[in-house]
Amino acid sequence: MRLARTLLRRKAVLFALLVLGALLIVAAFSPLFVPYDPDALNLTGRLQPPNLTHPFGTDHFGRDILSRTLVGTRVTFILGLSISAFALVFGVPIGVLSGYYDRLGMVVMRVIDALMAFPAIILALALMAIMGKPGMVNVIIAVGMVWAPRMVRVVYSSTLSVRENTYVEAARALGASSWRILLRHITINLLSPVIVQATFTFAFSIMEVAALNFLGVGVPPYVPTWGGMMNEGRTYINRAPWIIFFPGVFLAISVLSFNLVGDALRDRLDPKLRNVV
Amino acid sequence: MFSFIVRRSVGMVVSVLLVVTITFILMQLIPGDPASVLLGPNATPEQIEALKRTWGLDRPIVVQFYKYFANFFRGNLGESIFFRQPVLRIIGQRAETSVFLGIMALLVVVGLGLPAGVMAAIRPNSWLDNSLLLVALAGASIPSFWLGLMLMAVFAGKLHLLPSSGYTSVIATGNIANLKNLILPAFALGFVNAALVARTARSSMLDVLRADYITTARAKGLRDSTIILKHALRNAAIPITTVVSFTFASLVSGAVVTENVFALPGVGSLIVQSVLKRDYPMIQGIMLVVAVLYVVINFVTDLTYAFLDPRIRYR
Repeated sequence: MRLARTLLRRKAVLFALLVLGALLIVAAFSPLFVPYDPDALNLTGRLQPPNLTHPFGTDHFGRDILSRTLVGTRVTFILGLSISAFALVFGVPIGVLSGYYDRLGMVVMRVIDALMAFPAIILALALMAIMGKPGMVNVIIAVGMVWAPRMVRVVYSSTLSVRENTYVEAARALGASSWRILLRHITINLLSPVIVQATFTFAFSIMEVAALNFLGVGVPPYVPTWGGMMNEGRTYINRAPWIIFFPGVFLAISVLSFNLVGDALRDRLDPKLRNVV
Repeated sequence: MFSFIVRRSVGMVVSVLLVVTITFILMQLIPGDPASVLLGPNATPEQIEALKRTWGLDRPIVVQFYKYFANFFRGNLGESIFFRQPVLRIIGQRAETSVFLGIMALLVVVGLGLPAGVMAAIRPNSWLDNSLLLVALAGASIPSFWLGLMLMAVFAGKLHLLPSSGYTSVIATGNIANLKNLILPAFALGFVNAALVARTARSSMLDVLRADYITTARAKGLRDSTIILKHALRNAAIPITTVVSFTFASLVSGAVVTENVFALPGVGSLIVQSVLKRDYPMIQGIMLVVAVLYVVINFVTDLTYAFLDPRIRYR
């Protein structure tokens, strides 16, 4: 049975990687092969249930749900990648420096704890309100600001353990400068926890972006996004549930795949870190 | 125990002060000034100046900061631009829905998650355990608003079993049947977190079940149910308590969207409305209340550990 579980796990991870590969291709090339123009209106063919010509059905403007869902993949991936990059760019340096310099760490970690007292969506909503306009860049900043502190946390606690290694002591004894130790001996060894956390950041951030779009405060509504599609479909939930069903399935499968890959990476790269994140 | 409480209390106060500071700084980042936002594009410069004076916005930032702090501790979180009423009063009016929704969602979390995790731990790697793992993984990946909309389509739209939206106060009307409106939202909200609790309960029960005192209990010939409930579960409680208290933040986040889906008049839908209307004092007030609540809940959780496990007090 243990074997069965491992296999199940492996198969699940393999499946997740295949899904992510497929989604990546869709994200990159979907405008080339979608069956319909995602914005083309067809007022005579409104609210069609899934059928042979429209496998996912059509929405209240007669737009093809399949095409819109596929095109939405691109925005989702661009935002997920940018938000993870944002979290990395701010999270890694701040986390490493706080972990290495005790006094700085004490101050920074208090602020990080306080930032994390704001539930993710509330902080993101407030930041969207402060920045004023909906838009891709603002979404990246708002959601990135939510996830950067979590990255700092992970990097900080990993730095605390990495800096205790004998090779760091050895480097210091050899007269290496702090910068050299930080870059060549510590940061390089943080790669595994950082990759794992970046994977989870991607998964959670695309969910949060979908929530913002669903609430109508994320990306402007003329861009087809999964969250935005679900928002537009709300009025028709009883007559045309497929408008909401399919984008939601795509979102759930993407998040699930990233979570599976993240779990597998974590188990593989460093079993000790299982409880840190 | 006493010094533990003191240390943790100091930590809590520092966190609250930082939370207040962060909200103050965030609101300074708003482009333009709140006075002209409130008065709209047709306001004359004189009107804007007058309002700034009444709000003290013409004073140096340090003075504003001090006043902000002082008002916070007096329980004055300012006045809503849209409702023209004290922020705290509006939050209070909306609190009932959110609190009931939270409690019911927590019941779903513990009621589904705990038994599932314990059962999975009793028979590890069985089909039950494996399917629970799958459900837990899927549960953690499904957006709660999507689940909510789908539940609404099935149970309210198709089967007509439960109401799809809205909520009328139980306290004001005394009609407990109104809670029916919260069943679907509570389930949509709780399911995701139930998955997390199930996974924690499973791993922490597995650890405990391997302990020597469990073997001893078995050797004494105690019944399985006694061993699981009295000996194992109590010792597995700490990690489970942690996760349940962590779910607070996640429930609040989820509630923001879920309340919106089910048109519930709670604090979650209030913040979304306030964001759409750019009602900054309202947004700021909700952020403060929620974050302070979070800090306090963390504090209480820490005290609970110390109570559950005497070893923690001496660290």
